[in-house]
Amino acid sequence: MARHKKTFTVGWLYPDLMNIYGDRGNILTLLKRAEWRDFEARLIELGRGSSKRMDEVDIFFFGGGQDREQALVYEDLLETKQAPLERAVTAGAGVLAVCGGYQLLGHYYQTGEGERFPGIGMIDVRTDAGKRRFIGDVIVDTSLVDVQPPTLVGFENHSGRTFLGPKAKPLGRVRMGFGNNGEDHTEGCLQGGVIGTYLHGSLLPKNPHLADHLIRSVLKRRGITELAPLDDAAELAAHEKILARAKTPDGPRAQR
Amino acid sequence: MRRTAAVWAGKATGALSRISRRGGGTTLPGDVARAIDPDVLRKLSRDLKHGAVVITGTNGKTTTSRLISWLLEGAGHSVVSNRAGANLIFGATAAALERAGVNGRLQADWGVFEIDEASLERAVDEIQPRAAIVLNLFRDQLDRYGELESIAKRIETAMSHLPEQSRAVLNADDPRVAEIGMNLTRKPLWFGLDDTSVAMRELPHAADARTCPRCGASLQFDAVYVGHDGVYRCPNGDFARPAPEIAATHIVLTGFESLAMDVDGAHIELPLGGLYNCYNALAAFAAAISLGLDEAFIADRLRSVRAAFGRQERLEAGGRRLNLVLSKNPAGFNETLRTAIDLAGGRYFLIGLNDRRADGTDVSWIWDVDFERLRGRAQVVVPAGNRANDLAVRLKYAGVEGAPPESDPARALNALISATPTGETAHLLCTYTAMLDLRTELVRRGWAKPYWET
Repeated sequence: MARHKKTFTVGWLYPDLMNIYGDRGNILTLLKRAEWRDFEARLIELGRGSSKRMDEVDIFFFGGGQDREQALVYEDLLETKQAPLERAVTAGAGVLAVCGGYQLLGHYYQTGEGERFPGIGMIDVRTDAGKRRFIGDVIVDTSLVDVQPPTLVGFENHSGRTFLGPKAKPLGRVRMGFGNNGEDHTEGCLQGGVIGTYLHGSLLPKNPHLADHLIRSVLKRRGITELAPLDDAAELAAHEKILARAKTPDGPRAQR
Repeated sequence: MRRTAAVWAGKATGALSRISRRGGGTTLPGDVARAIDPDVLRKLSRDLKHGAVVITGTNGKTTTSRLISWLLEGAGHSVVSNRAGANLIFGATAAALERAGVNGRLQADWGVFEIDEASLERAVDEIQPRAAIVLNLFRDQLDRYGELESIAKRIETAMSHLPEQSRAVLNADDPRVAEIGMNLTRKPLWFGLDDTSVAMRELPHAADARTCPRCGASLQFDAVYVGHDGVYRCPNGDFARPAPEIAATHIVLTGFESLAMDVDGAHIELPLGGLYNCYNALAAFAAAISLGLDEAFIADRLRSVRAAFGRQERLEAGGRRLNLVLSKNPAGFNETLRTAIDLAGGRYFLIGLNDRRADGTDVSWIWDVDFERLRGRAQVVVPAGNRANDLAVRLKYAGVEGAPPESDPARALNALISATPTGETAHLLCTYTAMLDLRTELVRRGWAKPYWET
């Protein structure tokens, strides 16, 4: 009798419009790390227009886009994605939203021109426009308890200032960089199955422990609680390199 | 008076900078001279006997500038040009200074300046060019330039300020460049490729600017040549690729060695490889036509052009051939990889990634490069540069077995050379400063000349 592989499905929201910062790295990392554990990894691309397959998704990825594309995505998100996305998350699916995607899942985001777009309000965050753009390497001490090492590294590039409401917990505190708003030292948010963050770089390739945290948390609903360990030497060396150069006397730019 | 003082101070700075080996003196003299006379470039540009050409766009500026200079020089003109890729306004100023005489006057027939996308407005204002070329607009160094859209808008403003008698020479195949051209009051000279035998069917991952500027619908592509450059149309009929007056047909690509194509009635052949160089050659052809050069002369002269620094530069190193190819953003990298693997059959590689300011401090774009192309084809891939570790992870997720990451240029070079059999060619695809670091090491070993001598 043929043995059927367990499936693991990633849903990429607007791959053609919201993919500005090498977001494909996050997708590849999720898929490969599932494949290496003998799952049948599948990718569903969720572009503009409605899809009947959103309930098959284990993890949704929602990346960043330029203002021009973000405005195009916005209407479609409200019209065709909001309801099925909320249903899937209630049923245990996870969401990783980076930068523009993070902002659109909150209550609203305001552009540099002062235009305010209501978000879909899945997470208790709001985003105001800031004057200065926050650009550079980021190191975060994460508030997730089941991950090792306890740091996340990435790169931020945003002018939005995101503030968390009481229902959203920060993903971590910035040790280096600006994070959510440059004021309260928080970075990203955790709420239900949703992780929002400003970190790209890409985020997951250099943070394999976060990738595994995501995979583990969505497989729980299928009774899978443990993932086979992988050799993460290359990933963690890249992670460690960012941590190490932040420790040099002249800071992170010294080794450039 | 002031101009003469500025020219002298600038020239002295350039000489000092070269003597002290602080680089080729390609930018600093411009800084110094502009501090004394902010209008020095405007004044020097007026001295040009026939005028100037400016070239901008994300990829291909240096090569296209070099081709245009080569054509003008072949026609007996003296040309001043910022050859070393110092393409900010200071670099253009420095180039003009270097050729100015003791009287503070610029003695040249033509100026050919490659200009950074963000500096174009100022360059157009000061240089008042006879022709302005926009090659393409790809995502590049978002940490430095900001979003593509804001760069595109700045280029559009610059192009709308071109002097009356000046010609805009634009790539019809790039949707965002086409949008700029359609908004201009005077009709541009469009160039583009018309040969579906070299086209891809689908957009690569790195493609961007794929929506209709009028209605927002995703553009449909009938042919994809490089990145998002191809033959496109809006499904609602609101926008389409303009028909190019200067169109390339019958394209033949031979590795990194050469390319051939027919343009109008002329048959063009040149010793540069890759489809992306078809665009550069075509842009140079279109510019040269608009400046009044003869088609047959252009075709003949292009046969003998040489590559610019770090752009398919070929060197001998310990019995191996090295091919240095600047690869600095997803659209460019995908093209150099495609050329190296599919056209040149390359098997030995060094990939260099730095994150200094000139490279862009954000390296996430490597995830948009199709390194998967190396899988099963490359024998050796050495990840190099100060972000070699990130490359190693990228290769791992592409299913490519890479050599251990090596941040030190000398050791990376050793790893590549010892893994490349004698007589074989190794391809070094690097970001800007990673290329400089490697070249410094190659110069130290006597295998390459300093870049300001190329």
